Amino acid sequence: MIRPVLVRRERVWPAVQAFAFLVGIAAALALGLILLWTSGHNPAEIYERMFDSAFMGTDSLSRTLERATPLALTGLAVAVAGSMGLWNIGAEGQMMAGATVAAGVAMVADGLSGPVLIAVLLASGIAGGMVLMLGPALARSHLGVSEIITTLMLVYVAIRVVDWLQVGPWKDPGSLGFPRIEEVPDQASLPGLFGRVNIGALIALGLLVVFSLAVSRTGWGYELRLAGSSPNTARYAGISLRRKVLTALLLSGGIAGLAGAVQLTGTEVRLTPGLSNGFGFAGIIVAALALMRPSGVAVAAFVFGAVQVGGQSIQTLGVSSAISDILQAMILFGALVAAVFFNYRIRWTGPAVESSGDEPEEPEEPEPVEGAA
Amino acid sequence: MSEAALIGLFVATVQFGTLVFLAALGELIAERAGVLNLGVEGMMAMGAASGFMVGLETGSPWAGFFAAAAVGALVGGLHALVSVVLGADQVVSGLALTIGGLGLAAYVGRNVVGERPETLFTDLGIAGLADIPWIGEIFFDQPPVVYLTVLLGLAVWFVLSRTRLGLAVRAAGESAPTTDTAGHSVMALRSGAVMVGGAFAGAAGSFLSLYMAPGWVEGMVAGRGWIAVALVIFGAWRPGRLALGALLFGFTLALQPRLQSFDIEVLGVEVNRISPALVGILPFVLTVVVLVIISWRYRHRPSPAPAALGLPYRREER
Repeated sequence: MIRPVLVRRERVWPAVQAFAFLVGIAAALALGLILLWTSGHNPAEIYERMFDSAFMGTDSLSRTLERATPLALTGLAVAVAGSMGLWNIGAEGQMMAGATVAAGVAMVADGLSGPVLIAVLLASGIAGGMVLMLGPALARSHLGVSEIITTLMLVYVAIRVVDWLQVGPWKDPGSLGFPRIEEVPDQASLPGLFGRVNIGALIALGLLVVFSLAVSRTGWGYELRLAGSSPNTARYAGISLRRKVLTALLLSGGIAGLAGAVQLTGTEVRLTPGLSNGFGFAGIIVAALALMRPSGVAVAAFVFGAVQVGGQSIQTLGVSSAISDILQAMILFGALVAAVFFNYRIRWTGPAVESSGDEPEEPEEPEPVEGAA
Repeated sequence: MSEAALIGLFVATVQFGTLVFLAALGELIAERAGVLNLGVEGMMAMGAASGFMVGLETGSPWAGFFAAAAVGALVGGLHALVSVVLGADQVVSGLALTIGGLGLAAYVGRNVVGERPETLFTDLGIAGLADIPWIGEIFFDQPPVVYLTVLLGLAVWFVLSRTRLGLAVRAAGESAPTTDTAGHSVMALRSGAVMVGGAFAGAAGSFLSLYMAPGWVEGMVAGRGWIAVALVIFGAWRPGRLALGALLFGFTLALQPRLQSFDIEVLGVEVNRISPALVGILPFVLTVVVLVIISWRYRHRPSPAPAALGLPYRREER
């Protein structure tokens, strides 16, 4: 029986992940095509609408950037933890916690002047995200409790707490019995740049640059990566793993919390249980696609912002916006599979020693990508 | 608090326990073979949507149940293809499965939101036993899925610990090279385990949409898939302890919608005045606390986790 095996390529193209990303997008669009076609829509019309609403014109681009901002921040949050091999999959909850603390501070601190108030609220957001991360971070660093499940569990806690605040202690007396929380004061709104874009986008971009340099160019970043990739070497070199784990996770939580404060003061204006809106979960995909590199997070966040804006726009054509969730997950699956084929080649081997019926599915050649040669 | 309310609480405990036990049992099979599948939440959503739709179409809850299991196995197969056959990162693949599964379930189920099928699973009073006061109502007057799940739990325990197949599956989860050398296909064992696990999660989802909360709405799985993943750790990868954990979590899940009808005081707090939103965080906080306690207890002992959990295996690279 001749069977295929995967053999690691000796030479791998540079920027493999960029090609994998493109293949992922192509695969996602192909699957979306089938899905739309079989449910009686005209895929060409829908894709055209999605593209136009995300890219054509200043207003469209500003919508894409508006969504890319929280995605870049949550993506960076996941990537900071990921650069030492940790998984913060609760960025959704830390974003909510950041927004909650910022909203709470806004209620008592509205006497401050604009810029000071904004700085205080953004700092409160960071603090909120860190507070929610504190438990999982300590449990991980001191007891080795998997941060994957603990961070995720606290997402549900954070959202339900906002639910409770909204109907209970923070219910706006002026809302005529409707359960909602008061808007943050006007002077707390982030200054706009153009269209729907505010300085939150610049903050996100700045942080991406800072972390990109910090992780790849500083001793601190080197130690972080070393602690993740070879804990024993790191320990031998005198690096405190506990402290590194704590730092990485708390920073991660803080950045996700900042995303919440930026979303509150820049876009939403009012704290609701829907404020985090899946940005934290999408941030995991963004970071995974970027292989935990801040530079990649920027690109992936922009593309995902476009996919989400596109997904919103086709609702008027009677298409469910769930399509954009499916596309996002498919981009990741496609990229994951493509990356395997870019890093490995298939070799057909002679008769196998074993004779169990486990014929693996025949892997397909990756789709040719422009410029891949 | 009335007797009926208390019995109702325990009846619901068994049902919620069944829900998370069935899904966790599937995850346990996959993890014993060495594959972490974080896609349980998405597989349950797919199972809930597809099971409900088939049940609606055919009028048979069993058809929906088995269709959901088939869909779960298929989705599990995707995880197996990506993370076992191709050896990509199991965490990333599983998370993509959850996000994509939730989206796909919302998409395919969008036209049946608000519908109600004519036939759902009905309670199966076991002759003679169902009439016993308390015990009868709580344990012997439940829908058939509850009994099937108990049987599946026994079957999984038996296969894993008493058969050659089970030994091979566990070996794949402890040391893939050894298993390979012994002449077993690690790829087949792991893929099979992930697909069977997916079938369990899908079936659990349909129990939700065809009995516990009849119908389909986006977000109806509401984190129970993640609780199932945590439950496997709680159960130390053993079916028996998993069942106990499932009842504990089932109790906290059953408590939330009922607490307001309980006219009692705990530690000076009237429980019926606690906001349901806050009671709703109980299972999730409990999960975190339980995981911390377990790690504390194992801090000086080797972890009970399968040694090769999460590690892809490529024969050429060992």
